[in-house]
Amino acid sequence: MSTTAAAPAPGASREDLAALEERWGERPSLRSWFGTVDHKRIGRRYLVTAGFFFILAGLSALAMRTQLARPESRLLSPQEYNQLFTMHGTAMIFLFATPMLFGFGNFLVPLMIGSRDMAFPKLNALGYWVFLFAGLFMWASLPFGAAPNGGWFAYVPLTERTNTPGLHMDVYSLGLLFLGIATTAGSINFIVTALKLRAPGMSLNRVPLFVWAIVATAFMVIFALPALNLDNAMLFLDRRFGTHFFDPGAAGNVLLWQHLFWIFGHPDVYIIVMPALGIVSAVLPAFTRRGVVGYPLIVFAIVAISIISFGVWVHHMFATGLPRLSYSFFSAASTIITIPSGIQIFAWLATMALGRVVLKVPMLFLIGFVVTFVLGGFTGTMFALTAFDQQVTDSYFVVAHFHYVLIGGAVFPMLAGIYYWLPKITGRMYHEGLGRWAFWLVFAGMHVTFFPMHLYGLFGMPRRVYTYRSEPGWDGWNLVSTAGSYLLAIGLLLVLIGVLHAIRRGRPAPPDPWGADSLEWSTDSPPKPYNFPVLPRVHSLHPTWDEASRESMGAGATRDRILADGRRTLLTSELDGSRERVVEMPEASLQPLVLALAMLVFFTAMLVAWYPVAAVAAVAVAATIAVWLWPPRRPERELGVQP
Amino acid sequence: MSTHPGPRARLTGGLLFWYAVLGGAIAWAVHLLAVWGVDELTCAGGRERIGALPLRAVIGAAVVLPALATVGALLAAALVWRRTSHPPEGVDERPVGRGRMAAVVAIWSNLLFLTIIVLGGIALLVLPPCLR
Repeated sequence: MSTTAAAPAPGASREDLAALEERWGERPSLRSWFGTVDHKRIGRRYLVTAGFFFILAGLSALAMRTQLARPESRLLSPQEYNQLFTMHGTAMIFLFATPMLFGFGNFLVPLMIGSRDMAFPKLNALGYWVFLFAGLFMWASLPFGAAPNGGWFAYVPLTERTNTPGLHMDVYSLGLLFLGIATTAGSINFIVTALKLRAPGMSLNRVPLFVWAIVATAFMVIFALPALNLDNAMLFLDRRFGTHFFDPGAAGNVLLWQHLFWIFGHPDVYIIVMPALGIVSAVLPAFTRRGVVGYPLIVFAIVAISIISFGVWVHHMFATGLPRLSYSFFSAASTIITIPSGIQIFAWLATMALGRVVLKVPMLFLIGFVVTFVLGGFTGTMFALTAFDQQVTDSYFVVAHFHYVLIGGAVFPMLAGIYYWLPKITGRMYHEGLGRWAFWLVFAGMHVTFFPMHLYGLFGMPRRVYTYRSEPGWDGWNLVSTAGSYLLAIGLLLVLIGVLHAIRRGRPAPPDPWGADSLEWSTDSPPKPYNFPVLPRVHSLHPTWDEASRESMGAGATRDRILADGRRTLLTSELDGSRERVVEMPEASLQPLVLALAMLVFFTAMLVAWYPVAAVAAVAVAATIAVWLWPPRRPERELGVQP
Repeated sequence: MSTHPGPRARLTGGLLFWYAVLGGAIAWAVHLLAVWGVDELTCAGGRERIGALPLRAVIGAAVVLPALATVGALLAAALVWRRTSHPPEGVDERPVGRGRMAAVVAIWSNLLFLTIIVLGGIALLVLPPCLR
């Protein structure tokens, strides 16, 4: 792929650049394709794979909307409909939203903080392979009619074996346990990368807001995911081995599932939305020609949301008959959590008001985000009030609300991010006209689809019904929703066409087509395998707008930031970004792929009850981990042995 | 006179800083788990007392004590904010800058946590503990 590139930085000589290319470059081969540990390649794969799962989940939604276009339609059977809505929700949440944002994080975090890779590149590769295999594991069940069918939050006792026989919910519980390995590995990697690999001078008050958002998300994953894993492990044990964790007849507790699920589930809303809000804060400066207003307040909002989100889970259980006083504690937290979200919205609006708005496609999607997310947030506040929540629970009003939050709060920023970083990721510019058409179709399609759901939800239409009898206020609005869903699909298809058009026919992108403020724009488009010829020294929150930070990569750069004599990067302190030492980074390896394959065999064998095969796979997993962790033979010079 | 504080002052300053930053969050977490856990478990057992104490008094204590701890964290955050307003000449700007940012974050988050705890307290005044 030919692209324009930044002129070789004067800070690094031609010999340095050649040495860096030799150390970091990966020659095209099958082995390097499977063994790569380059965060940019892994990030791109996350984006593409999550996009593929998004298409599958979107097609499921279209099938459901077609079924619901008219009353008493027979396009889908109840069994097929149950599998489609469960896979739609599960895939959108677990296989699209989080991995897509992790893809952005993988590609961008090392570039934004001035590092040469993630802290644990091999763990990063493992995370991707596990995500891919877990996604295929779950989707592969659909053609066999064995896909999960108990809804994305899989309430017991409906999902216990007696009520849902077959493999359906075993696929769900094992698939999510498998996927959890990838999400946890990715989160640990983000936290360590952001805390230890920042460029010298990047103290915590100079960290880009996107990185703050990714780190907060990673912490939320670390604290929230164990609850879901525990839930799924217990569900699998109940279903397969006859334990009674959720069986009240044997001193189990049905509500235990809901408590554990939502202790994960509500933070998960923010796990999805938070990095997307980080994208908003990253894109906005380029299209308002100024920094985001109220940086410390946005950091406060990110931190506050990530903590308070763990104390609101019971608002998903307002219809379960717990004491009203208990509800009120969670109701208070659910109401107050809107304040930090509101602070961010007002900060972005103030940035637009005080800056000079440039209405390119990414900015259009940001404006679409503000409109849609605020509407979703408004109905969210209504749900925080127990009395209202109990009236509309399990109705289409809920479906409308969370699609406004998730499409508004996550998909719109993702689309803004795709157009914004496409030049950096592919080295090609997108077609502006095609992008504008895509925006208006997506925006209109989204609102035409989901706004009527508020209405027929209030008119009493329950969610998760495969068909319905003709009722006043239901039929016409359902048809409108279905028409809107096709409009939305055409808009999203145009986004895909726009991306493919940019890759094949787009004009070459310069290193910084937007005049943006963060470090990824100070290197080539697409970046070289080593990211930066000279690791920058950061002097402000907007390093590419700041002369001193820019000059740190130019003439006079010291050798200790070029590090051309090895595959190395800099380790810095957690709070102030002070230089600590140079660390060696691992090279490409097939171990992550082998480990992920062994895990896939283990989970598949567990699913089909081939326990001896599962045992062999477990041994293979242990052996691969042992080989992975085995200390490498270090050169005698490094061990202090005199030649 | 040396501008570098001694180890004891550094330890005290560090503890005060982290109390300012995390105090409110920890107090709210303790409050939430205590009030929810005590209310739900006691009511599920068909009781309205814990030992000799009425349930309302126990929940009240789980509101008032974390609220006081949060007020303390708020005051500590205000102190950190004041101390980072005018750093002495020649001091590295990075630690002061991020300390000041942490103080701003701490002031706002402690206010937020205090509001949530107080709202829970108001609910306690209005609702009987075991009403379903």
